[in-house]
Amino acid sequence: MTIFHKRKFLFRIYSWLPLIILYVSVLNEFDFNYLDIEYFSFNFPFIIIFYFTLKDSLHFDYLLVFFAGLINDVVIGFPLGISSLSYVLICSFSSYLRSITIRPNIIKDWFYFLFVISLINSLNYTILFLIFSYELNLTFYLVNNFFTFLLYILFTQIFNYYLKGLNE
Amino acid sequence: MASSRDDFVIAIRSAFLKKSNKQKFSLLTLLLLSIIIIVLSSFENKYIRQVKNIINEIVYRSSYVISVPENFILNSINETIKYSSFYADYKKNIDEIEKLKSEKISNIIIRSENEELKALIEDYSLSSDKILAKVIVDHDSPFLKSLIINKGSKDNIKIGTNIYDKNYLAGKVIEVNYQTSRVLLLSDFNSNVPVSLAPGNFQAIVSGDGKNSGEIKYIKGNYSDEIDNGNIAYTSGTGSIYKSGVPVGRVQVLKNQIPKIIKINFYSNFDQLKYVFAEVYNEKSDTINDKKDDKIINSNEFQDLKNTDKLKLELLNEQIEIYKNTNLKFSEENSELETKINELNKQLILLEEKIDEQDQIINQKEIDKNELEFLKLNLIYSKKCKKSFSNQRGYKFGTEKYRKCVLNKGKL
Repeated sequence: MTIFHKRKFLFRIYSWLPLIILYVSVLNEFDFNYLDIEYFSFNFPFIIIFYFTLKDSLHFDYLLVFFAGLINDVVIGFPLGISSLSYVLICSFSSYLRSITIRPNIIKDWFYFLFVISLINSLNYTILFLIFSYELNLTFYLVNNFFTFLLYILFTQIFNYYLKGLNE
Repeated sequence: MASSRDDFVIAIRSAFLKKSNKQKFSLLTLLLLSIIIIVLSSFENKYIRQVKNIINEIVYRSSYVISVPENFILNSINETIKYSSFYADYKKNIDEIEKLKSEKISNIIIRSENEELKALIEDYSLSSDKILAKVIVDHDSPFLKSLIINKGSKDNIKIGTNIYDKNYLAGKVIEVNYQTSRVLLLSDFNSNVPVSLAPGNFQAIVSGDGKNSGEIKYIKGNYSDEIDNGNIAYTSGTGSIYKSGVPVGRVQVLKNQIPKIIKINFYSNFDQLKYVFAEVYNEKSDTINDKKDDKIINSNEFQDLKNTDKLKLELLNEQIEIYKNTNLKFSEENSELETKINELNKQLILLEEKIDEQDQIINQKEIDKNELEFLKLNLIYSKKCKKSFSNQRGYKFGTEKYRKCVLNKGKL
């Protein structure tokens, strides 16, 4: 990592990597849907936003997260503002957890993440169904919620490795 | 108790209101901004729509560029899989081509019949331009089955424009930008297509099931028992949402389910869409001659084909003029011939009358000849046949028996 510190540009790119990945994922809607597993999907932006707001909020600009939400709405075809609200809410919950946590515990974070995404997905579904009269399949939401929760722990390990590199 | 509440308030304030070192906005500001945008979106605010259109134009292009590596990998995998099954596909394709060749002939006949029948019932004949559009964003979202094409309002695309994959219906446009549009696929939950199910011509509505197929949600009348596997669904044109007679898919009845589920397996594979056709059409009551049958296949050839179509139309108009003139000549000839036929018929009647007269004369002559013969024989054999004092066996003069006797030369 000393190479990064010597080369400031590379370090900057490395520190901005989560946001770059977030933008790529919202533009590309990264969720492995092409695997053709029935109902399988997960919300990668939720994982990345929750993790980095919790662990590395200094490099994770909320305004850029907000814009990522706007882009996601455009890509998916949802009314403007829905994903932004979801992302900012995740940031808020994650920020709250960071404020009240003295000794971080991965399992607690994990289940708190489940609570947060369930709440946000419910809110999403309610807004889309009641206000915008969208026909949505609840099963997709539940499965998406479940896999997002399940894969959080896996991505946490990868992101920990990244943070280790950044802090060193 | 009071201290724990204070802790909670402090944590909330810290999370929502406090700006960190590099944060330009607090989370509360961003939350309120999101809510304002959602509220304005729900009222379809003009400014929000314009902002969305601008973001659309930028994001769709960016999304296309960013998807290039992923699409390249996926395409490479697909190509490899295709290559491995190349021979089997080749054999299958040969069989299919043979089958299609025979079907094509019957299709041409059916199409021409269909056009004639439509003209008869004064249906709207559609003069349409099919524009080839490239799919620039095709993210298979589990929530909304849609894709983005590279044609927009500048290409005359409007909300509701029908989108085709080859000749099969794929969806309709739900959002139009200047250079791009969003297409809602038939497989989406929010898609409802009025269809006719053949054979039987049952009217129904097909809704997407969020996967790659559809489901019949409504059938007019109680005909669900009469619908069977393999029935064909094509657009009915009800409500003027979709053009009528466009193939949609095949029926698959899931009899094990209670209540019975009628699925529609769409002809088009929405996962494999790279190019689609957008149909921009004007409805007008027209003759069959104005219809265009040819479908535009290549985008580069599109303009040329348009010009060719114009030339074809001009040629057809000329041909119509020629046909009209020829028709006029024929009708004149026809009337002349009719007069001739009438004259000949009159002559025929006269000749028949003559023949009748001659027949009568011949008959009369025959009668006269017989009478003369009788009179001749009467002179010779009247004595033998006439009843008299000396000839008691004879007959009375003038009777039929007497006549027979004379003609038999006196034999009683």
